[in-house]
Amino acid sequence: MGIIQRLVTRHRRSAAHEPLHEPNLALHVEDLTVVYEGKPVLWDIDLNVPPGVMAAIIGPNGAGKSTLLKSVLGLVQPTAGHVCIHGHSPRIQKRRIGYVPQRSTVDWDFPTTVLDVVMMGRYGHLGWMRWPGSDERERALAALDKVQMAHLGDRQISQLSGGQQQRVFLARALVQEADVYFLDEPMAGVDATTERVVVNLLKELRDAGKTLIVVHHDLQTVRDYFDWLAIINVRVIAQGRVPDVYTGEHLRRAYGGRIALLESESFGTPRGVDAPRNDGA
Amino acid sequence: MPMLALLSDYTVQNVAIGAVLLGVVSGMLGSFAVLRQQSLLGDTLAHAALPGVCIGFLIAGTRDLGWIMAGALVTSVLAALFVLALTRRTRIKTDAALGTALGLTFAAGVVLLTWIQGQSNASQGGLDTFLFGQAAATLRSDLWIMGGVTLIAVALVLCCWKQFKLVTFDPEFAGASGLPVALLEGVLTAMIALAVVVGLQMVGVVLMTSMVIAPAVAARQWAKRLEGMVVLAMGVGIVAGLSGALISASARNLATGPLIVLAATAIVLLSILFAPGRGVLWEQIRRWHDRGTIGQRQMLSTLYKLAAHHRDPEYPAEAGMLDGLYGVRTQGILRRLEQRGLVEAVEHMPGEGHHWTLTPAGREEAERVLASVSPETP
Amino acid sequence: MMLEAFFGNSALMIVMTGALVGIAGSLVGTFLVLRRNAMLSDAISHSIVLGIVVVWLLTHAQSGPIQIIGAALTGLLTVFLTELIASTRRVKTDAAIGLVFPALFAAGVLLLNLYARDVHIDEHTVLLGEIGFIWLDTIAIGGYEVPQAIVWMSVVALANAAFVIVFFKELKLSTFDPQLAAALGFAPTVLFYALLALTSTTAVAAFDAVGAVLFVAFVIVPPTAAYLLTDRLAPMLLLACAIAILSSISGYQVALWLDVSIGGMMALMTGAFLGLALLFGPRHGWIAQEWRRLGERHMEAARTLVVHLYQHENTGRAEVENAVPALERHLGWNAARAQAILARSRKNGFVLQEGRMLYLTHKGRETARSLIEPWAPAR
Repeated sequence: MGIIQRLVTRHRRSAAHEPLHEPNLALHVEDLTVVYEGKPVLWDIDLNVPPGVMAAIIGPNGAGKSTLLKSVLGLVQPTAGHVCIHGHSPRIQKRRIGYVPQRSTVDWDFPTTVLDVVMMGRYGHLGWMRWPGSDERERALAALDKVQMAHLGDRQISQLSGGQQQRVFLARALVQEADVYFLDEPMAGVDATTERVVVNLLKELRDAGKTLIVVHHDLQTVRDYFDWLAIINVRVIAQGRVPDVYTGEHLRRAYGGRIALLESESFGTPRGVDAPRNDGA
Repeated sequence: MPMLALLSDYTVQNVAIGAVLLGVVSGMLGSFAVLRQQSLLGDTLAHAALPGVCIGFLIAGTRDLGWIMAGALVTSVLAALFVLALTRRTRIKTDAALGTALGLTFAAGVVLLTWIQGQSNASQGGLDTFLFGQAAATLRSDLWIMGGVTLIAVALVLCCWKQFKLVTFDPEFAGASGLPVALLEGVLTAMIALAVVVGLQMVGVVLMTSMVIAPAVAARQWAKRLEGMVVLAMGVGIVAGLSGALISASARNLATGPLIVLAATAIVLLSILFAPGRGVLWEQIRRWHDRGTIGQRQMLSTLYKLAAHHRDPEYPAEAGMLDGLYGVRTQGILRRLEQRGLVEAVEHMPGEGHHWTLTPAGREEAERVLASVSPETP
Repeated sequence: MMLEAFFGNSALMIVMTGALVGIAGSLVGTFLVLRRNAMLSDAISHSIVLGIVVVWLLTHAQSGPIQIIGAALTGLLTVFLTELIASTRRVKTDAAIGLVFPALFAAGVLLLNLYARDVHIDEHTVLLGEIGFIWLDTIAIGGYEVPQAIVWMSVVALANAAFVIVFFKELKLSTFDPQLAAALGFAPTVLFYALLALTSTTAVAAFDAVGAVLFVAFVIVPPTAAYLLTDRLAPMLLLACAIAILSSISGYQVALWLDVSIGGMMALMTGAFLGLALLFGPRHGWIAQEWRRLGERHMEAARTLVVHLYQHENTGRAEVENAVPALERHLGWNAARAQAILARSRKNGFVLQEGRMLYLTHKGRETARSLIEPWAPAR
């Protein structure tokens, strides 16, 4: 963005109109548009995620899913639109937000231990000058325990497997003690055990009233893991409860006909397409 | 000159103190630079200091280290911003941006230098010593300035330690946590310039690259955490600085700067080779050891499976057959297993080759091995 | 007669030397820049000081073919050691570069201190060179006194040009697709090392003229400027050489006028040309980009508006969303911007306004659909 445009954006935000308050929604995105080098990445996105759900965001690669997450978190500047988390702008709400980025964003050869990484999740709570102490350490150990890695606290992160790396990131997000967690493809490329640990932990959080918003890579497991779903391909194709949204028609629209849907019993009955059976699905 | 006499010499004392200061600041700031893969930025910023040195001289009218360092700091930081601007706003890649900034700023420095020389200002003699440093010319007053800059750098890093650490490790998470990532990254980049200006007097422009990189790389081989790495890097910097200074003082004709660099590089090489756990030599030793251990584990499980297949816990496996199975002579592995009491040699039939069978202890160990490679491991 | 005047014209000789350094440097530099190895030229230019000193100690030759070969070997040694250290995976590549060349350079300086105090090769000259003095050092060739620097620089430049021309296809492929090149048997690694050897020989030949660090400017800056001006390899090479020649000529003039280092000024002029390319480059220059962006921004905003209206028309929220105030509240545009965008969109026939409500024209709707559902057939 040009310098002028950046200054204008900043001015625009400070001369702010009141962002719509939707305190009843965990995440409220309105008219979010992100354009990168002339190409639209996200167009006019409206999302309304209720609290206390485990929400998945799916869509083809390059369809803007990660960008959506980053825009919500303030890591990317949108061209238009705004975001509310529990009724307030994300900038005010940093304390209530937990984030699990993709593993590839980090150089794992960094000199640090597993415990150290998890404690970094408390830096937001500690403020500028305070040093982490025994309280932070205890919370970190408790979080590591939840992801079944308490015995690896002293391990160098360069010696971790992919699944272990993912769990460390998850533990770090746990100590953030957030109300809304954002996860970017947390189950991509991990072993079965890690996937189990992650899903169970997320479900636990959901049952405790937290909101999970997960960019998910695997269509097959959406119905098993999640209760809320948004299908994104540059714009929102559909959003809502999984049974309503996870239909053949929506998926075909999102993937532009490039997807082969296996219409079988296990897949379930797509609504309104070609499902003559009426067996109570 | 005997060592004690050396240390009480005024010049040597100055050089030593300067070397210590250099070690502290370059070890500390170099650690961040290396971890952020900005090693060569140190090279560029060091060369960019030259025009600043000239400008500082021009303003002060004389060789005043304070002004010179201030000028060097300004041009270095500008060069850093220039590199950032080129990489972010144009299609020019990082290496070309670094090289462009390096070449052009240094050219500007050369031009200014010759312009000053053309003015035949008597006190400009020695300006070009900033190319290689002239440690021996360090004055006490210079040390105060260097010390001040070092103190500022240390204070800055200490008070923002958590933030710098997080931004270096995971800038995305840092941004999501509310840290001002762009600002912090800018400060970290600009701080390399601080290290450069402290080193100007001691090692000069050309060799500063090494002082930024070498202590940090050496420390990385030993340290488990960033805190340790920074402290160690400072230590390596100090040791290299002192060694170079003292050797240079005790010999004639040897410039301090190059000696410090060679000392630091030697420490790096030793660290890469010998650091426990990470050192190259250790890895080699571990590999040899593993090869032996893995061979033994495989052998145990093979013997076990053979015994199970033949439903005979004391099934004697023939050495030649095992050789054929593995494609190599297995005698060494079997002997080592025998030493551990896990197998024993038996005579199966007279005239036949060696046969080997598992002992009860061996069977237990084999079961343990097989259990550890089964699929249900967490 | 003419030739004598030619070789005797010191100004011409100086400019020619500079131009030759620039050409030789640009030819290899183009590939280094494209391969993202530009800083290797800096590394090599420093470390060959060691090579020069060692060769001198062994043979007492200060220049000539022996020095050139020694330089090539040292340059290759530098890169070899760098890759060796990086291959241990304990050190990243950029750090490895920064470890090796200062150490070699330091070793060279120490050797100088110890054994060559009183010789013409002093650190100062090696680093800075002095192109103005080249005509002090001449060789007799065919009866004419030719500055040595020109002779060797010409040889090197010719060698570089020959290399680039003969291996043009292979170099092109190796630079842009090393794996394919390897598969086709072009041995990209060998080519790369040959390139580095030539870079080293260029460096040592250039030392007398412009010294180590200015050499770096000649190798990196003209190709970088050319990179901003073209997208094809052959034009990039030619443009880089052209910029080098022009910098040499202009640099000499300015240096005389200001009474400063000629080599330094020539290097600075390459920067001036880079600046011109940054500003005026037809596709990648700043002016061209801002122009495009300005146009883009209008298009972007118009598209955003059109898509927004399309999404919300015929829905329950149309009353709110497709009204003028929504432009500020929902899309986050301030009043002035919203008005401007609206005016343009109306002018371009995308949008109709009735009171506070906005409606899409057929053209507007089609535009929106083509953006959002590019696979759906036009209605």
